[in-house]
Amino acid sequence: MIVIEELVKKFGGNVVLDGVSERIRAGEKVAVIGPSGSGKSTLLRCLNLLERPDGGRIAFEGEDITDPKCDADAVRRRMGMVFQHFNLFNNLTVLKNITLAPARLKIMAEAEAEERARALLARIGLPEKADAYPSMLSGGQKQRVAIVRALAMNPRVMLFDEPTSALDPEMVGEVLDVIREVAEAGMTMVIVTHEMGFAREVASRVVFIDGGKIKETGTPPELFDSPRDARLREFLSKVI
Amino acid sequence: MTAALEWLARQFTITFITGNRYKLFLTGLRNTLIIAFGAVVIGTFIGAIVAMVRVHSAQSGKLKALDKLCGAYLAVFRGTPIVVQLLIMYYIVFAFIDNGISIAVLAFGINSGAYVAEIVRAGILAVDIGQTEAGRSLGLSSGRTMRLIVLPQAIKNILPALGNELIALLKDTSVAGYVTVKDLAQAGENVRTLTAEPYFSLLFVAAVYFLLVMGITKILRVVERRLAKSDRH
Ligand SMILES: Nc1ncnc2c1ncn2[C@@H]1O[C@H](COP(=O)(O)OP(=O)(O)O)[C@@H](O)[C@H]1O
Ligand SMILES: [Mg+2]
Repeated sequence: MIVIEELVKKFGGNVVLDGVSERIRAGEKVAVIGPSGSGKSTLLRCLNLLERPDGGRIAFEGEDITDPKCDADAVRRRMGMVFQHFNLFNNLTVLKNITLAPARLKIMAEAEAEERARALLARIGLPEKADAYPSMLSGGQKQRVAIVRALAMNPRVMLFDEPTSALDPEMVGEVLDVIREVAEAGMTMVIVTHEMGFAREVASRVVFIDGGKIKETGTPPELFDSPRDARLREFLSKVI
Repeated sequence: MTAALEWLARQFTITFITGNRYKLFLTGLRNTLIIAFGAVVIGTFIGAIVAMVRVHSAQSGKLKALDKLCGAYLAVFRGTPIVVQLLIMYYIVFAFIDNGISIAVLAFGINSGAYVAEIVRAGILAVDIGQTEAGRSLGLSSGRTMRLIVLPQAIKNILPALGNELIALLKDTSVAGYVTVKDLAQAGENVRTLTAEPYFSLLFVAAVYFLLVMGITKILRVVERRLAKSDRH
């Protein structure tokens, strides 16, 4: 579904992604782990073109999205993204947050978008928050709404960038529950996370990034129980 | 005591009544308001466009040439005195038109646009970049993201500063007399000459400016309070 070839991204003279190649198949749940500053967010943001790669290629469903002629907006409509800091639209109600893009982009009619938004809100246990503004929600509630907002576009793949890192500990569980449900529904997912337990449980494959390179990839048992890369062993000893 | 009262009565009469001089002040006030509000409309329009070009250019790396042009505009109009700009507009750029008020509206509007551009730009940049990224990540264009998400939030930062710009502009228009416009300050100066007395004419004009500024400040306070309320929801 996503094929990444020799991806390079620099910020000024700082090479943040240094030739990353990876293939993500439909239905896979890929957990991306690695030390802070290793380029995990940048990799994710290159996938939906929030960052423009400086080298290499990314193909999404057969289309070269690094081609300058590619319509980035059209690509992003098929990729949901969940941010560490939620980024709910502060000027809109929860319902409008969810229906804005599907309705404006004519993915569905306004009424249909609203019906679907209410159904999604009910599924995450927040039906009564439809008319609330983001400032009235807890962090966990915000992130659950943010996930639903991305899902409302019917994306082909969901990208999560440390979705629980900005949450108070007691709210991590409720957000992970929603992500787990999305995974069980068969969604293709790439999730950057520091929740190693969650990665082991939900991921079909784990990718370890260090210094802008993929150092190791494998199933959760392979990666967590018998890591080969020295940097990975060091990383795991610190976080587990 | 009676001498003082008599003096006051005479001053009042020659300043306002004789030859219907109060009409000079009224005309002056009208012209001052026309120039200030006309200029603020033009300035807001220019400023908003320039700010959007600059923000868009900085974020996307596109529109480089237009961005340069906007930068030059800001540098020139903020780097030269408004009186000189006014004189150039009147005697060079629009030398073929003899309508001081229109030219003053335009000159003050273009000048104000340079300041408004920075106000709007700062207001937009004060909105968390995450709001833009979330909009773009859903496939919304940069224009729609700006219009539906960023600007409605930026307006809360922009409006108070825009009010201050209106106050500054109102006072700045007092140099419109340089291009033959009979504005409020000019009315005071005119009456001072006619009466050969400086006190009433000039102090009265100062008082009117002061009251105008106070009025605008009051209105701004109310607007700011409204905005703050809607912020908390
Ligand atoms: N917009 C940016 N401008 C400059 N440097 C950046 C930018 N975004 C990220 N970086 C740098 O790139 C490196 C990798 O960042 P990031 O991908 O966020 O790491 P991670 O998500 O793994 O913690 C860091 O050194 C960071 O400072
Ligand atoms: Mg990160």
